[in-house]
Amino acid sequence: MKGVPILEGRYSNILDMFPVECKEFNRIYTFYNNLKEGRFTTTKCKGCGKVSYPPRVICPECYSEKLEWIDLPTRGKVVTIAEKWRGIPICFTPPLIDAWIEFPDGSPVKHVLSRLINCEVGQVKEGDEVQLAVFDVPSHPMDKGKESIMVDRVFFAFEPVK
Amino acid sequence: MSKVNACVIAGGQCKFGVREASYIDMVQEASKACLDDLPDLKPRDIDGLLFASTYVGRNSCQVNPAPVVAERVGLKPTSICTRVDVLCAGGSSGILLAQGLVQSGMAEVVMVLGSEKLYTPERWQIQYGEIAASDHDWDAPQGIGPPPLWFAMQAKDHMKHYGTTREQLAAVSVANYKYGFNNPKGHFQNELTIEEVIEAKEIAAPLGLFDCCPLTDGAAAIIIASEERAKDLSGRPLVYLRGGAQVSLHSVTANWPGKHLGDWPHMKLAAEKAFERAKLSPEDIDVAQVHDCFSISQIIELEELGFCKKGEGGPFMASGQTNLDGKIPVNTDGGLLSCGHPLGATGIRQGIEVVKQLQGRAANQVKGARFGLTHNLSGVNVEHTIVTYGREPKK
Ligand SMILES: [Zn+2]
Repeated sequence: MKGVPILEGRYSNILDMFPVECKEFNRIYTFYNNLKEGRFTTTKCKGCGKVSYPPRVICPECYSEKLEWIDLPTRGKVVTIAEKWRGIPICFTPPLIDAWIEFPDGSPVKHVLSRLINCEVGQVKEGDEVQLAVFDVPSHPMDKGKESIMVDRVFFAFEPVK
Repeated sequence: MSKVNACVIAGGQCKFGVREASYIDMVQEASKACLDDLPDLKPRDIDGLLFASTYVGRNSCQVNPAPVVAERVGLKPTSICTRVDVLCAGGSSGILLAQGLVQSGMAEVVMVLGSEKLYTPERWQIQYGEIAASDHDWDAPQGIGPPPLWFAMQAKDHMKHYGTTREQLAAVSVANYKYGFNNPKGHFQNELTIEEVIEAKEIAAPLGLFDCCPLTDGAAAIIIASEERAKDLSGRPLVYLRGGAQVSLHSVTANWPGKHLGDWPHMKLAAEKAFERAKLSPEDIDVAQVHDCFSISQIIELEELGFCKKGEGGPFMASGQTNLDGKIPVNTDGGLLSCGHPLGATGIRQGIEVVKQLQGRAANQVKGARFGLTHNLSGVNVEHTIVTYGREPKK
């Protein structure tokens, strides 16, 4: 038997690299619901107009709680790209490719750092256009009354424009 | 109201490296090394403990470690006993806090102790644990946490905007390993050539193995005391904490504050604030320990600290300006690249080296050094911490 028998086959929230996204545990669950529809969104303050990324439950500028969801661009240009083969956490398969992506002029969010998926090393070059790619993340169990239910999740990366 | 000055009176570290020891073993080794540095100082003289550690909560499954540590090292704190978690800057944060506690009169003699046990029985857990070092919900799922990819991008942008070369990056590793050669408590004691650095296995291009600091276990301790107590306890030249700064302008990488990734305005601001508070300028500094977590980091840090012009960090390194006979000796005990980087212990290790330099007892002594500085960045470059030291207090 291995050292921690009680963990055999169990979900460990404290070791989860992905957010717990559901409404029972997260007030910005709308972000993830929008992602499921292919939308990349964030919050905008109805009071002062400040757009924040990542999404908030208060405006960091004026502390208003009156926020609305707005769409962000789902396409951007690669400014800088890097790959790594070694020392990759077990949750990713090497090569891990990350890019510093610039959104078009007029976007309230200028940059995002994202993994590039659905491509080979060397395929995407600086200056290339990439697009949002939403993927399924392993579900996690959650207590519901006396039952345990599974909660579906998604997350995002970017991929080459096809 | 009379002003209380804060002084550093002793310091010591355990052997840094891949240690067959737990965090709490190393804590005891470091506090012994620290008190051995000033034999008149006894545990009962110390009224406060600040314990700097990040991964103790995760790798050693211990939260609220300060009382655990206090007990093992024989302290019975009556002014402060708490943990400081600022990743790579935990130690220097502890020093800044100890300075404030002593200057305010809340504490008289404070031990700042940092320890990090990064090696786990199974190696995969180390890199998995590093995921927690970035903004969990936004950057960790992008694979940023283990920092090489992000710093590889910073290197690429610096090369693009300023023409920094691969050889200039390698010059950082060569210079720091050279200093670390005679530091038996560092992780490595070997010298490197430019070719060895460039030909080493790639981690994330352009960074190779020797451009990245290693994963290291270790602990270090330093004692901050009021000037009055320092005079009672120590016969050595006094070293004063002059002033410092800690700046955080963002956390999620998307909110990076620079014009590009080779531009670090949060560090520039930290330097300005620290120099202003210390009543010093970059020209006054005789010796500096900067956060060379990667070769590129040191190049950009020399620029943002004002030791050279923006964009000229590469040529500055390649022309030997951080050597003992250069413009500003940097990382004179080997830095993170050669000593290794047990996060919470690093700022303390740097502080000890600066104090030894200002007291004229460093292994690679800078002649007549009067003012010194330490710098750390934290996590995925989201925070900058600077501490300044001097042979005389701020007037
Ligand atoms: Zn607002």
